[in-house]
Amino acid sequence: MIAAVATLVIGVIVGYLGQRSRMCFVGGIRDFILVRDAYLLKGLIAFGITAWLSFPLAGLGVSRGPLPFALSDAITVVLTIIGGFGVGYVSTLANGCPLRQHVLAAQGTTSSIAYLAGFLIGAVIFHAWIAPLLFRMLP
Amino acid sequence: MGIVAGVLAVAAGAFFEVRPPEAYGVCMACHGRDLVNWTINRFAHTHLTVAPASLVYPVLTTIGVLLGALLGAKTSGEFRWRSPDNSFKTFFYGILVMNSALLAGGCSIRLLLRAAAGEALGMIGFAGMVAGVILGTLWLRWRAAR
Repeated sequence: MIAAVATLVIGVIVGYLGQRSRMCFVGGIRDFILVRDAYLLKGLIAFGITAWLSFPLAGLGVSRGPLPFALSDAITVVLTIIGGFGVGYVSTLANGCPLRQHVLAAQGTTSSIAYLAGFLIGAVIFHAWIAPLLFRMLP
Repeated sequence: MGIVAGVLAVAAGAFFEVRPPEAYGVCMACHGRDLVNWTINRFAHTHLTVAPASLVYPVLTTIGVLLGALLGAKTSGEFRWRSPDNSFKTFFYGILVMNSALLAGGCSIRLLLRAAAGEALGMIGFAGMVAGVILGTLWLRWRAAR
């Protein structure tokens, strides 16, 4: 219950700031390559450094974290690389990371609302079909 | 924005019970997944995967972000309906991004968060994401140049 309320409040804050600052975790790298604009990249780096500094302060040193599902290490690494690559590549094509798409959808961009619909349906597709399929195909 | 979000993301995991798994403070993909799957489980009595953090009540980050961004857009007068892109295409992009994100165990935010928490897999995933963004940008530029 605490988690639900806390994430709602944090979501409102992040959403508001994200709307004001046009924060995007993909756009920073994209803008820097395309037009050498480091405005969004600064936000990305600030997020990373802040989280990196505050994890030890909060006493949450993570050595071995959560896996998407239990598989042998090499396969997990390969799947993580493929997944990470897919997130980066398709997010660039879709013109923004998931956070940015949520913000755009709330601003009234209809293509981002369609993106969110696909996003949420994608979750069901992954857990209903793709994850079991991977379980069966991989050792 | 980056600093505040970083503090909030860590604080969510540390003080507000948004764990396990670790480094789960803010993630658009996993939290959206939790919300959808929790709702479906609740009403259709299925057993789709939900992170331990949101077994009893789902995490509501996605709804919060939508509300917060709506608030920001309304107060600054930036809210207006428009469609810069083909909706059908972005719908497919959404499906693809969500599936890649769940495969990697986090969207772009959580990949960075996991890398910042010192998790090797998070760093690998984040490196993959950066490679994907660079290639995607080069592809966009190449296509625009033709």
